[in-house]
Amino acid sequence: MPADLSEFHDELRASASGLLAQGADWAAIAGAGWPGLEVPAAFDGADGTFAEVAVVLREIGRAAAPGPYPSVAALAIGTLDLLHPGPVRDGLLRAAVAGTAVPVVAIDAEGTEAFRLTGASGPDGARLHGSAGFVLDAPAADRVLVPALEPDGTAVVVDVDPAELTVGDRPVLDATRSLGRVAADGAAVRPESVHRFRVPDAPRRLRDRAAVAVACDSLGIAEAMLDATVAHTSVRHQFGRPVGSFQAVKHACADMLVQVTVARELVDAAVRAQADGGPDAAAASAMAKSYACTAAVEVAGKAMQLHGGMGYTWESGVHVYLKRAALNRSLFGTPAQHRARLAGRRARR
Amino acid sequence: MTGAALDDFRAGVRDWCREHVPKDWRPAQTGVPDEEFVAFQKEWFQELRRAGFAVPHWPREWGGGMPVPEQAVLYEELAAHDAPRLVLAFVSIHHAASTLLAAGTDAQRRRHLPAILDGEIWVQGFSEPDAGSDLAALRASARREGDTYVVNGQKCWASGAAHADWCLLLARTDPDAPKRRGISYFLMDMRTPGIDVRPTRQATGESHFCEIFLDDVAVPAANRIGAENAGWRVAQETLGAERGMTMLELAERLGGGFRRLVELCGRTGALDDPLTADRLAALEIELTGLRALCAKLVAADRPGPADASIVKLFYSELLQRITDLGTEAAGLAAHTDLRKPLSSGWESGAWPLDFLASWEWTIPGGTSEIQRTIIGERGLGLPREPREG
Ligand SMILES: Cc1cc2nc3c(=O)[nH]c(=O)nc-3n(C[C@H](O)[C@H](O)[C@H](O)COP(=O)(O)OP(=O)(O)OC[C@H]3O[C@@H](n4cnc5c(N)ncnc54)[C@H](O)[C@@H]3O)c2cc1C
Repeated sequence: MPADLSEFHDELRASASGLLAQGADWAAIAGAGWPGLEVPAAFDGADGTFAEVAVVLREIGRAAAPGPYPSVAALAIGTLDLLHPGPVRDGLLRAAVAGTAVPVVAIDAEGTEAFRLTGASGPDGARLHGSAGFVLDAPAADRVLVPALEPDGTAVVVDVDPAELTVGDRPVLDATRSLGRVAADGAAVRPESVHRFRVPDAPRRLRDRAAVAVACDSLGIAEAMLDATVAHTSVRHQFGRPVGSFQAVKHACADMLVQVTVARELVDAAVRAQADGGPDAAAASAMAKSYACTAAVEVAGKAMQLHGGMGYTWESGVHVYLKRAALNRSLFGTPAQHRARLAGRRARR
Repeated sequence: MTGAALDDFRAGVRDWCREHVPKDWRPAQTGVPDEEFVAFQKEWFQELRRAGFAVPHWPREWGGGMPVPEQAVLYEELAAHDAPRLVLAFVSIHHAASTLLAAGTDAQRRRHLPAILDGEIWVQGFSEPDAGSDLAALRASARREGDTYVVNGQKCWASGAAHADWCLLLARTDPDAPKRRGISYFLMDMRTPGIDVRPTRQATGESHFCEIFLDDVAVPAANRIGAENAGWRVAQETLGAERGMTMLELAERLGGGFRRLVELCGRTGALDDPLTADRLAALEIELTGLRALCAKLVAADRPGPADASIVKLFYSELLQRITDLGTEAAGLAAHTDLRKPLSSGWESGAWPLDFLASWEWTIPGGTSEIQRTIIGERGLGLPREPREG
């Protein structure tokens, strides 16, 4: 990374963590320009890359912050960027950058359900069928971008008003997250709402992007838990010494740091690959997702352990991170599924 | 007992379970108010008592006396029939009973053991804000005044204190003695004036453990267990003894948790995945080892110096691995299971909640780190860690 960019990332990181510490709401986040970090200036964006988005995603994980930023910035804007330009798409992109629209992509985070279009796109338009069991931030969406297959198997994105769909809230243990079930039961689709991708393999690219975004969040979680644990074990005294001076505790913290350090490398590589769109992007994303999301659960669990009884209380907040880390691990592909993808790639060669 | 007789015993327990284990207690108990949970637990305890199943590990003269192989079968069947666990009576039938049996006077045993069978609930008041792993640093004080001790201080993390009738209390009776030699062990009536119990909300959202504030609480000298200033030894002995006995049941219950995990993987098709099958087999091996170890430990006259710690460490971390895999295998749907039944302890089947609750076993009763130190020092005779006091 060039020095000036890394300096810029440090500044962005500092301002993001400052704003998030104040409990920034959507208006503040949009005001800070975060939704448009990656978007070309022609659409009122900051002309950056996914690398800048990743900086914010990591800070959001570090703060275990609620809100739809991950789904808007990582998924919706990523989706819009993969579509052919046009007045409708461009308008939505601008609105998303400005924060006046909260578009959400109806990708099932568990990857099992899907949508399809039926009927020719004649005067009556096509109809949308299908569902997605777990859609990140669906309850907050004012526009839903539904990835669907046309009758001939072409992948498209249908821009739908949530009123045309059934969007059901699905409360989860991780109270910092909002998930919903999205279902379409023959919703009428106007021809101008059906968008085609401008690149091949777009649906897979989107899933990779989603996986990397979650890996960034998990990296932030792991970093936060390591920091909190080092801080706590440095001041908590037992047997007349800070508990961090006991080798058992010190070694556990050291293992956490090792995991965080390795996760950071894998996540950074995956983020770079996303930004460049290189051929290794898929493998890098699978590695980052699998490792960082597993590590975050282990690090948050260790944090709970090393905080002792305090860590098991509601007020300590460690549980907030452990729940979020466990949810992240199941979002957009389990570690085992991502490892299977990697193994499969080798088998084919 | 011969194999055939044991089979008969199993058949009897099975019949009993079919008839008596409450149906649908999980949904019925999920999210109920505390009073309902307490009433349900007490009723279930009496049901088990009538069958002779409530305290099988106690000596015969006090209402127990079941041989270890039968105990293993009993717990196996209770787990297999998904019977509620006696979470409310946990401290009474294990910690309190073993303390009374090991160090109590006849009068204390006669007063409390039958009362426990009648439903008396106990809490363990050991830990304090500044005395967790370093329990001997406790500061709650008991000042002798004639026939009573006047107790002041603060306890924390006391599980179930909100519903307890009696408390196992450690307090300092000699502030000038070395840390471990100035502590005494008391039985404290929770209805004594000056006791204030405040629930603490825990990671799972429930408030099972509590703070106990003690302000000039009068405890009769007759309620001291063991000699004055000898409380540390009593506490050590009973903690060690207690671990072995509770573990037999917990290991069998974990078998139930493992079965649920296998069912889950069967439902999701994960059983066909060789890597999942391998992980499950590895867990099954560990579980089998744990159960064998527990049965042996409970049967042994004299457990080895680190046996209790080995079992506690292995059990609690195995529990963590099983619930962790369950969380991963159950996927996002498991995260929508928000309220576990109060009475279930960890094995509710709501995997992420059970995973979270698995820290209820690696932290209390001596953390995993402390257990490893004990195993190294007492089990292997390695040099002791430098520590103060
Ligand atoms: C769910 C729950 C229920 C509980 N129920 C009860 C109860 O009913 N009654 C009761 O009296 N107490 C109870 N406790 C308290 C429990 O026993 C203590 O939390 C435990 O002993 C740890 O003490 P601590 O919380 O002060 O942690 P600390 O002692 O502050 O430990 C913090 C970390 O430092 C580590 N550490 C500390 N000292 C050392 C050392 N020498 N070497 C290596 N590592 C070390 C610990 O392992 C831990 O990881 C309960 C706790 C929990 C979480």
